[in-house]
Formats: sequence, structure tokens, C-alpha cells
Amino acid sequence: MQIHRVVRDLVTTKRNYWLAAKALRVVEDEGGNLEVALDPVGAKPGDYVITIGISAARLAAGNPNITTDLTIGGIIDHWSEESWRN
Amino acid sequence: MKICQVEGTLVATARIPGLQNRRLLVVKERGSSGKQVAVDPVGCKNGDWVIVVGSSAARDAAGSKDYPSDLTIVGIIDYWDETTTQPRRVADANTSSRA
Repeated sequence: MQIHRVVRDLVTTKRNYWLAAKALRVVEDEGGNLEVALDPVGAKPGDYVITIGISAARLAAGNPNITTDLTIGGIIDHWSEESWRN
Repeated sequence: MKICQVEGTLVATARIPGLQNRRLLVVKERGSSGKQVAVDPVGCKNGDWVIVVGSSAARDAAGSKDYPSDLTIVGIIDYWDETTTQPRRVADANTSSRA
């Protein structure tokens, strides 16, 4: 699992059937690389989150049929830019 | 499996139900600066050197096939001295190339 920061929401009206009506967020890692993650938790922009990758991402989404390779698993209570970089 | 050092615990109150109340730890892989988060079914302390498994084996290692983990700690290394291990590896490589 990795630590990401939520950048913003992502709206896609036309999407794969198995992505259903799940919320998507744009997240960035400490290097500023952007990725899209499925969000079953309800994270806000600026929140630091734990993201789950590969096959566990599908389980974390609540249904193994959902086509995702990155899912937000939780919102970190205490985290800062410094603890990310040091 | 990879060798990591435990950096600290991670508190995440708002989490998906699948993660249950398992301990999450911030770990740093040996020889890299990137931080990752691992599930800890073993019970590690800060500074411990540990072995972690990734991919789908991480799900099994966390206790069940349905547990949504992609990185799980499977063991604490009894003795790992980073300062002595690295020079010895370099020395080994040198002697083998000369032979």
C-alpha cells in the first residue's frame, strides 16, 4: 500500500460497466506523479490516503468484479508533507 | 519478498470495512527512499528489519484470501546490521570477479 494525497475529483460519464457509479479521485504521490484511484471512503482534496494496488484493489472496492488497480483504503489521521519526504 | 525497515505506525480512522482493525505500519524498503504501508499481523516495533510479501500473496499472508492488502509483513529479521551487510556484499562481489 502507498501513501497518496487527493488532488481533485474526476468525472467520467461514459465509463466501463464494471466501474459502475463509483467515485473516482485524482491522487498524487510524493514525487507529484498523478494517478486515478477509486474512492469507497469519501476522501476530500488535500486528504492524505492509503491506496491499495494490484489485485487487492478489486477486493478493497467491495466487489472483485470492479475493474480497478488502485483503490483508496483509508484516510490517514496525522500526516504531513515533512513526514512524507523525510 | 523484500527487506524493509519499520518507520512507524499509521493511524487511519476512516477506512474501508475490509481492512478491519489491523495494524498498519509505514515501512521503507532497503536501499530506497520511498515509503510504503504494510499490514502487520506479526507485531513489529519501530526500527525492526522485516520481510514483506507483495501481490496476491499479501492477501493470504494477512489472514484470509479476501483481505485487501498488497503488502504484508511476514517476519521480523532476528539480526540485520545494515552497516556491516553492505560492505561485505561488495567485498564478496570483488573476490568472485577475481577468481
